[in-house]
Amino acid sequence: MKTTKKYWKGLAQLNNEPIVDTLGQNEFIEELPVDKFLGDQENLSVTNSSRRDFLKFLGFTTAAATLAACETPVVKSIPYLVKPDEIIPGVANYYASTIYDGRDYASVLVKTREGRPIKIENNGTYSNSRVQASVLSLYDSARLKSPLKDNKEIDWKTVDSEIKEKLSLIKDGKIVLLTSTILSPSTNEIINEFSAQYSNVEHIMIDSTPYDGILDANMDSFGVRLAPSYSFDKANVIVSFGADFLANWMANDYATDYVNGRNPKSGKMSKHYQLETNMSLTGANADKRIQIKPSEQGYLISSLLDAVNGKSYDKRLSNIVKSLEANPSKSIIVSNSNDKNVQLLVNAINHKLGNYNNTISIIRPSNLKQGNTEKLDNLINNMQEGNIEALITYNVNPSYSLSRAKEFNTALKNVNLKVSTSLYNDETACLMDYVCPDHHNLESWGDANPKYGIYSLMQPTISPLFNTRQFQDSLLSWIGKSDYHAYLKNYWSRKGIDWNQSLHDGYFSLDEKLIKVKRFIDQSVLVKNQKSDALELEIYETVALGDGSQSNNPWLQELPDPITRACWDNYLTISASTAKELGLSNWTVSNGALNGSIVDVTAGNKVVKNVPVMITPGQAHSTVGMAVGYGRTRAGKAGNNVGFNAYPFLDAKKVVITKVDGEYEFASIQLHHTMMGRDIVKETSLTDYIKDPSSGNHRETYATYKGKLPSDQVSLYEEHDLSTGHFWNLSIDLTSCIGCGECVISCQAENNIPVVGKQEVRKSRDMHWMRIDRYFSSDMTKELSKEEKKSAIDMYSEMEVPSENPEVVFQPVMCMHCNHAPCETVCPVAATTHSNEGLNQMTYNRCIGTRYCANNCPYKVRRFNWFQYSENEKFDFHMNDDLGKMVLNPDVVVRSRGVIEKCSMCIQKIQELKLNAKKSGKPIKDVDAQTACASSCSTNALVFGDSNNKDSEVWRLRNDERAYDLLDHLNVKPSVFYQTKIRNKS
Amino acid sequence: MMRSIYSYLILTLAILFTSFNVAFSQEAVDSLAVQQGKEIFKTNCVSCHSIGKNALIGPGLEGVANKRKKEWLKKWINSSSDFIASGDPDAIAIYEEWNKVAMTSFYFEDEDFEALYAYLKNPPIQEDIVSADLTLAEDQGVRTSTKLMFIALFLLMLVYLLTSLKNKLKESLGQETETIPDTLLSQFNLFVSENRNVVFASFACLIVVLKFSFDTMIGVGVYSQYQPEQPIAFSHKVHAGENGVDCNYCHSSARKSKHSGIPSANVCMNCHTYINEGKITGTTEIAKIYDAVGFDPNTRSYIEGYEQKPIKWVRIHNLPDLSYFNHSQHVVAGKIECQTCHGPIEEMDVVYQHAELTMGWCVDCHRTTEVAMEGNEYYTELHDQLKEKYKGEKITVDKIGGIECAKCHY
Repeated sequence: MKTTKKYWKGLAQLNNEPIVDTLGQNEFIEELPVDKFLGDQENLSVTNSSRRDFLKFLGFTTAAATLAACETPVVKSIPYLVKPDEIIPGVANYYASTIYDGRDYASVLVKTREGRPIKIENNGTYSNSRVQASVLSLYDSARLKSPLKDNKEIDWKTVDSEIKEKLSLIKDGKIVLLTSTILSPSTNEIINEFSAQYSNVEHIMIDSTPYDGILDANMDSFGVRLAPSYSFDKANVIVSFGADFLANWMANDYATDYVNGRNPKSGKMSKHYQLETNMSLTGANADKRIQIKPSEQGYLISSLLDAVNGKSYDKRLSNIVKSLEANPSKSIIVSNSNDKNVQLLVNAINHKLGNYNNTISIIRPSNLKQGNTEKLDNLINNMQEGNIEALITYNVNPSYSLSRAKEFNTALKNVNLKVSTSLYNDETACLMDYVCPDHHNLESWGDANPKYGIYSLMQPTISPLFNTRQFQDSLLSWIGKSDYHAYLKNYWSRKGIDWNQSLHDGYFSLDEKLIKVKRFIDQSVLVKNQKSDALELEIYETVALGDGSQSNNPWLQELPDPITRACWDNYLTISASTAKELGLSNWTVSNGALNGSIVDVTAGNKVVKNVPVMITPGQAHSTVGMAVGYGRTRAGKAGNNVGFNAYPFLDAKKVVITKVDGEYEFASIQLHHTMMGRDIVKETSLTDYIKDPSSGNHRETYATYKGKLPSDQVSLYEEHDLSTGHFWNLSIDLTSCIGCGECVISCQAENNIPVVGKQEVRKSRDMHWMRIDRYFSSDMTKELSKEEKKSAIDMYSEMEVPSENPEVVFQPVMCMHCNHAPCETVCPVAATTHSNEGLNQMTYNRCIGTRYCANNCPYKVRRFNWFQYSENEKFDFHMNDDLGKMVLNPDVVVRSRGVIEKCSMCIQKIQELKLNAKKSGKPIKDVDAQTACASSCSTNALVFGDSNNKDSEVWRLRNDERAYDLLDHLNVKPSVFYQTKIRNKS
Repeated sequence: MMRSIYSYLILTLAILFTSFNVAFSQEAVDSLAVQQGKEIFKTNCVSCHSIGKNALIGPGLEGVANKRKKEWLKKWINSSSDFIASGDPDAIAIYEEWNKVAMTSFYFEDEDFEALYAYLKNPPIQEDIVSADLTLAEDQGVRTSTKLMFIALFLLMLVYLLTSLKNKLKESLGQETETIPDTLLSQFNLFVSENRNVVFASFACLIVVLKFSFDTMIGVGVYSQYQPEQPIAFSHKVHAGENGVDCNYCHSSARKSKHSGIPSANVCMNCHTYINEGKITGTTEIAKIYDAVGFDPNTRSYIEGYEQKPIKWVRIHNLPDLSYFNHSQHVVAGKIECQTCHGPIEEMDVVYQHAELTMGWCVDCHRTTEVAMEGNEYYTELHDQLKEKYKGEKITVDKIGGIECAKCHY
């Protein structure tokens, strides 16, 4: 036994913060007034209440309390004085709008109830989990409630007059507008007007993850500093060097296109190669994933260029080269490198393969990334030299998200006028002279031009909650104008846009002149192999938090990472073999939770201490990954001090890690990594599927007196009548599901699912109604063990270990709504019953909390309310906050302590759907039948509908050869079924 | 004997008369045009006119179709101001009589005007209220306590008769007679002397006590007859009953939403801009609306910059959060009358909760109410399937899943 081993309760204790010590000595923070009461001898001796009196008082108070409880509360009902025409209490209104926070863009429909937004729906296109969760960020009580001057509240009039005066006094120095990439044409015009009014105005755009490599490379190749748009649906071969395009790379609409290009039914499925370091969401979905170190990327891309030019090349690329040769001008090569030279090589390959104007378009560019790091560097230098007179920031948080944040913060002192327009008093805003808080997207007017020719409009769906003002209005008022709404309307009317119609639709397209580009100039320089044995670092963004601007959103904090399945943390990802070499490990403790080693990470003069280590299968050997977006210090109560800030390491390449004593507690909701030889996810390859569509979809048979029968034809139970009326089914296509978790957030928003916090998740008490299971493949299979004549114990223990470079599958699992439900038969109080529409119903008010049903559920989808999660200080998230509670869906009950809950298949939406059909006297349309998960799925992996309607999509899917039931040998006849996973392996 | 014959005769006569009356009125009213006219009247006219004698904002319209010619009415309704300007003496007279307020112009299609005219010509004979009366009487019946009193009286009479009979017999035998208390006491002693009887009696007592406690307990949280005082003494009797304002005029969201909706003050002001007096307490109560919205009845205008005060009504029907109820489901899809659950609302000066609003009450109704499937395309296919499944049976709400838990609890 090591006696030096210490256990840390958290980073605070490790860092020796004094608060830990104080708390340790003071177990009861609020002291009980025992001494005060008993110590007062005088008072004690005077008091002569006997034991008998005490009992009298006790009896009286009990009786009084009981009697008081008998009285019925009087409920007040307060109608509008003047009801707005469009509002009918109890009926939802939908408004088309746009979400863009400087990072994620989506055209959305906002569902409002009695004038408050409660849910984001896709406007027929795509979104992601952060867009879905943004509705909760609206009701964030950490938002600024009024403008600030030197961190003190102040009124708008004073702010405006002071800023205007200071701006007008500037003569020589520069005024800099530091913003995120701006998609809004009208905002750009306002910025131009602002620049015209004041002298020396410079507008600098930055992206939290810089894309200068691509932009500068295109400047050299085509003469325009623009990001191209990619059509992943048109590509037959996709080769991605580290670009996580399904989750975070560039735009967030690629997933939809990607899945559209992978439709096994049509026989056409793109072949996707991923050469990467960290196990990304995109890598997990790839047909073939090759592990490379970051330093190898340039060399491999050079080698691929050689191959395309018919020269000799690296052997690892042979399959890729063959595929590329077979599909001329039908491929896409992308790289996440921020090195201009590497991107020039990528351009050269794409040009050589003829991809431009076929799968990649530079004349119809994407506008989502326009940041310029060079200008930013100049800005910091100029600030240091005192050349900057005024700095106005918008949608950015440089003090947190720059790798040079420290220098920036110091240089900021040299700026005379510092104005932030942040929604929060964040890391940057707190250093500014003035904070002029912006509206949330859902309170704002606006427009966006994410892509060439495509425009969308943003409209407020709620009156501003606080005394905030839109950034555009602030700019306008500083140039002596006002009313951005009128400005915007006027701007588009001048361009001949039908304002009302466009606002109603949320988007419109314009025929514009194509971007003029120069003829392609190949300026690429081949890169030599720089592979080293050093430990290399690759920084990534998590699927949940992205760049961390929505850190204070508890939904996102609690969304488990698709790969590591951990939430409320970032960590150092490392492969099992590297960890072993360095003596690092992860282990499970007695309550089933995951713990891990702690290390210090050093890169040059940058150090981050006490970083937990998460062993991640698929991480390239002798590399590590760290996620940005965590370690915020001024985000708000949910986001503060969660994880560590990895932004300073943005440019770091090689790192040194040293193990430190102690262990770290993770909140990971899935600890088993493999399927242990079972076919939970049924999988096949495209070639096998084309030969036999039902390949891989084998159903177990049982010997009966009628001969061998598949499990679904052997039953002892009486059948429910499911042929009359509706039969609600949900199909989940495992080929289309990329595991992004958007549905989980959508479900959480729709169904009032509480956030439970890290400690509860660690105890496996997470409340999500749906989870996305992730399985890695293992080197050991049943077949292999037979060949090698292994014992069963050896076989299974080896099966538990995922491969070094595993294949990954994702499987969304929610209540399967079994039609022979194991949960229903064991409930002692009939709180869970079956409906005649194929749904397993859960009646909270009937549940007494025996949890028999959860124990008997083969899919483990039932969740128990261990605590009252709403209005409970112990769970200080949005449900314990008057403002946060406004996001709750009034059609769904907020569950109380001691009851089981689970997926209801959005019964409230089904009931509404049926009611609307009955009221209008028309049959239900298939497209209208939606659950929250299905309607938000950007890749259309989830399809919901009525299987008794022979025209429905779900009926077609139910009868597809790929359809299978999860754990079909149990024959519980689920209403939810899956489509086999098909990979394009050949 | 004679008495019962009389009563039968009267009852038969009454039934004959009622049925004749109903048949007669139905014959006259039963045309489509009148029905259409009624709808048009409800949507357009009812906020200012009653179909009876009562004057609201405009005059009561009883007998207007006989008083005025059809052409005259058409001109007046289409555009009263033009008509007044044309110098029609009758029109001017009405204009003068009603404070020089011209009627809103309604440019009805000819067909619609014909329907409206037909309705004005055949105004309804207070049928609605009669039928509601019947349901009320049926519903209440004879109270349980009265029944019990009758039984007790009957038993006492029986004791008296039997005792006097016994005494008569004893007298004739020359034995000593007993008073009634003596008999009761001796009988009681006889009863108690047997152990079995005591056990039986205590058992019976226990059952009665248990039944009583059960009834009391089950009544906890049931607030039928709850009749709180409201901030404004609004009378449904005056509005819905006497003036015949349609329920949906004020509770318009009952057709669209889960909430029936308490009307916002601007709905009140549709009529009360003009009507600022009431018969009993109306004047003070209407003034409370003016106070809430900031309206000056003297100048008939809203006070500028007035800080409006919301009206805090006391909610009468409180369903717990755990159960979902949708008005439009019942009113539109189910075609249920408001009175079915809310009772004779048009007779209530102060509204009280009529129904128990217990789950048993909901489920009972769902078990007996037929689904309104006729003419609703949503049900076409389902109806055929159900007819096949439940041959000859009534298709009640429970047969389409109306008593499943998750239809109301989610």
